[in-house]
Amino acid sequence: MPAVKEYTTPNRPTWCPGCGNFGMWEALKRALSELELDFHEFSVVWGIGCHGNGADFLKTHGFHALHGRALPVAQAVKLARPDLKVIVEAGDGDGYGLGMGHFVHALRRNIDLTYIGHNNQIYGLTTGQASPTTDQHMKSPSTPKGVLEEPINPIGIALAEGATFVARGFAGDIPHLTELYKQAIQHRGFAIVDVFQPCVTFNRVNTFPWFRERVFKLEDRDWDTSDRAAAFELSMTTFHELLCEPDQCTVPTGVFYRREGVKTYEDGLAAYGEPLWKRALAPRDISDLLAEFT
Amino acid sequence: MRRQIPEGVTEVRIRIGGPAGFGIKAAGQSLARVFNRAGYETADLTEYPSLIKGGHNTYHVRISDRPIYSHVLDTDILVALDEQTVEKHLGELTDGAAIIYDPGDFDIETVEGIRDDLCIIPIPLTDIIYEVDGKKIMRNTVALGGVLGHMRFPLSYLEDSIEEQFSHKAPEIAEVNKACARAGYEHASKNGCAFPYDMKPLEGREPKILVDGNEAIGLGALAAGIGMYCAYPMTPASSLLHFMARHGEDRGVVVKHTEDELAAMNMVVGAAFAGARTMCATSGGGFSLMTEAFGLAGVSESAVVVGLFTRPGPATGMPTWTEQSDLRFAIHAAQGEFPRVVLAPGDRDDAFHLSWQAFNLADILQTPVILLGDSYISDNRSSIDPFDTSRVHIDRGKLIAEGEVTDYLRYRVTEDGISERALPGVKGAAQIVNSYEHDEFGYGAAGERADVRIAQNEKRMRKLDRARDIVPPPAYFGPDEADLSILLWGSTKMPVREAMSWLAAEGKQVNMMQVVTMWPFPDEEVTEFLGKSKRAAIIEGNYTGQLQSLVREHCLLDVDHTLHRYDGRPFAPEQVYDFVEEVLG
Repeated sequence: MPAVKEYTTPNRPTWCPGCGNFGMWEALKRALSELELDFHEFSVVWGIGCHGNGADFLKTHGFHALHGRALPVAQAVKLARPDLKVIVEAGDGDGYGLGMGHFVHALRRNIDLTYIGHNNQIYGLTTGQASPTTDQHMKSPSTPKGVLEEPINPIGIALAEGATFVARGFAGDIPHLTELYKQAIQHRGFAIVDVFQPCVTFNRVNTFPWFRERVFKLEDRDWDTSDRAAAFELSMTTFHELLCEPDQCTVPTGVFYRREGVKTYEDGLAAYGEPLWKRALAPRDISDLLAEFT
Repeated sequence: MRRQIPEGVTEVRIRIGGPAGFGIKAAGQSLARVFNRAGYETADLTEYPSLIKGGHNTYHVRISDRPIYSHVLDTDILVALDEQTVEKHLGELTDGAAIIYDPGDFDIETVEGIRDDLCIIPIPLTDIIYEVDGKKIMRNTVALGGVLGHMRFPLSYLEDSIEEQFSHKAPEIAEVNKACARAGYEHASKNGCAFPYDMKPLEGREPKILVDGNEAIGLGALAAGIGMYCAYPMTPASSLLHFMARHGEDRGVVVKHTEDELAAMNMVVGAAFAGARTMCATSGGGFSLMTEAFGLAGVSESAVVVGLFTRPGPATGMPTWTEQSDLRFAIHAAQGEFPRVVLAPGDRDDAFHLSWQAFNLADILQTPVILLGDSYISDNRSSIDPFDTSRVHIDRGKLIAEGEVTDYLRYRVTEDGISERALPGVKGAAQIVNSYEHDEFGYGAAGERADVRIAQNEKRMRKLDRARDIVPPPAYFGPDEADLSILLWGSTKMPVREAMSWLAAEGKQVNMMQVVTMWPFPDEEVTEFLGKSKRAAIIEGNYTGQLQSLVREHCLLDVDHTLHRYDGRPFAPEQVYDFVEEVLG
């Protein structure tokens, strides 16, 4: 089975030094290696953004899709290929902005995917505009007087729309994130891990030190992961005042909610079963159907 | 012009009209089925507004004992389920035509312009359904019985059709419907009007099938081994989604009604990446939403088939009507340059064969293929010879579905521009399929290098040269030597072939070239056809002359005569006939 370093491609990462994406990249490689997933057994689909540049750095048989559209591609891969583990990597602008429609609908399908949200609360690749998860009142080149909207609550939306594994990670804690990834990949159903991954270049508020002072692990507090309503309540703590003091706003990480044994979308599909390329080995016999048109 | 039916030919045109929600389409299809089974040829035209109840819906069925190619404008029997049906269609009624209506609905004598030559057949449709304990929707069935009664055509064909239609329901439902049909038949057969033909079931005819364009495309896709179909409902493509959901799922097709067209197109790209034969279909509005992902299919070299069935645009346009205005859109959709194939079926047989061929072309060329149709071909049925399914074969090109590869490069630069395509799951093939420009491994990092860009761009564009060798050629109809040569594409083929058959019967020399593969444009063939012509015309259902502009651009030629239509209606053969008469002088 591949060692951690074998999941690395010859391409040198182009992320800014200290970027949160490094921690997420490392954690995913470790999780894949520890789960002994060989390169022909899984596929990763990326959207567009700084996170998406990771498509060059992680060895996989993957797809670097359009901005905001990783989920439709990934869902189709899963529906066409029951034999593959499918992982989606999406950004906060990418997945919770442009891709929000796909996100909500994928959630309610409980399709068997692992969704990793690279949440740096900023548009990195387009040089620092406010993203859907940027804190209210934060100033950015596209919002010089501060963001007027409330930030998106991806955990709350995931809980509301039916995800069966909902977790939050922090890119600054690679061992913890690795563990979350492993659980998410092994979960059967829609698993989301929304990961705070500070943008060291454009987000001057939500920095690594900012998070380190505020994150705590749910498992350290004996969190009951079966209580969906409590998880929803907890997700609301994602919202906090800009520049809040550490004791005023904490950031829970870990598994908010999980439920095993829920039927997935594909469980209900009569046509789901073998890889769909096998349906085109020979022309399909349609003579019985043609007879219906006389 | 009003065409005289030639001596010895039996031809009857029936229109059923009334508000939406009265089951008019079902009644019309039932009528077509009856005569198709009795050995006649049929061609249907359904016209309806975009609403669920009310408005004015009609279904026109043309029936003939000779080969026919399209609908016509005349009507010999009008079933009027409301007064406006008479008002709107009086002008198309032939001498001595019949009107079947319910005198309880309206007073026909007061309809403006009602003529003495018409055969008025009052049938108390509503009273009859109450007598037999029927439901309001069964007024149609009474009226259908009335049509056959007026024609003195054996009722048994309609009774058989009813039994089949309701075979999955309680037996009394079929019985009540049959009673409705019988009552209508008796009323009409007792009326005093003569019917010009002694119509009997035709013996010894090869059975034909009745399909619309979407059914033909769906059947072609099924035959081609489609594995996933994704779509968002949009007229006139919705019925293909229904077809796939109804017939595909039990035959191993994953059918997904997606949250929007963006998802549909991105999903088929994902499904293609995973190895499925896959398709989506929509109309112009939906395809507008799909265009970015359509370009993704181009740069990622994904084998996808897209149905683009035109209705008059732009924006919401005229949802239930037809036009040929998306040719340039299909050829140019999405930013940047990449190879694509655009195929335009001209009739339902084309639709079936181009459908399965589209999947082969997509796989061989690893690039998107558009099936460009319109409401006229999608929505309407005609009787045709059963599809020759022995022609269907599967060619997946350079696909490697399983096993192991060595020295693999997803985007290897090759002479024909086509690289080996190993699916996820194949050992040794872990590379990236990319929306960014990329190197031979699929990595985007090197894609910004000038030499890499040039190599990959040229590799992709070379696939168009390969496409030219394998795409369906144009189709030719009529004599080699002609006084007028008509160039056209898509569903306009049908009314023009019909008009050509009339002109040929009068000894007029007209031929026609149907461009089937719109892209890559067959410039050599078109140049040759126009070069040989004495006089040439282009007929197309749009304002700007989109085929004509392609001819100018690619052949540096033009034609002297054009006929356009953009009122939401298909060309009628009568209109084509008059145009040709005028051109020929």
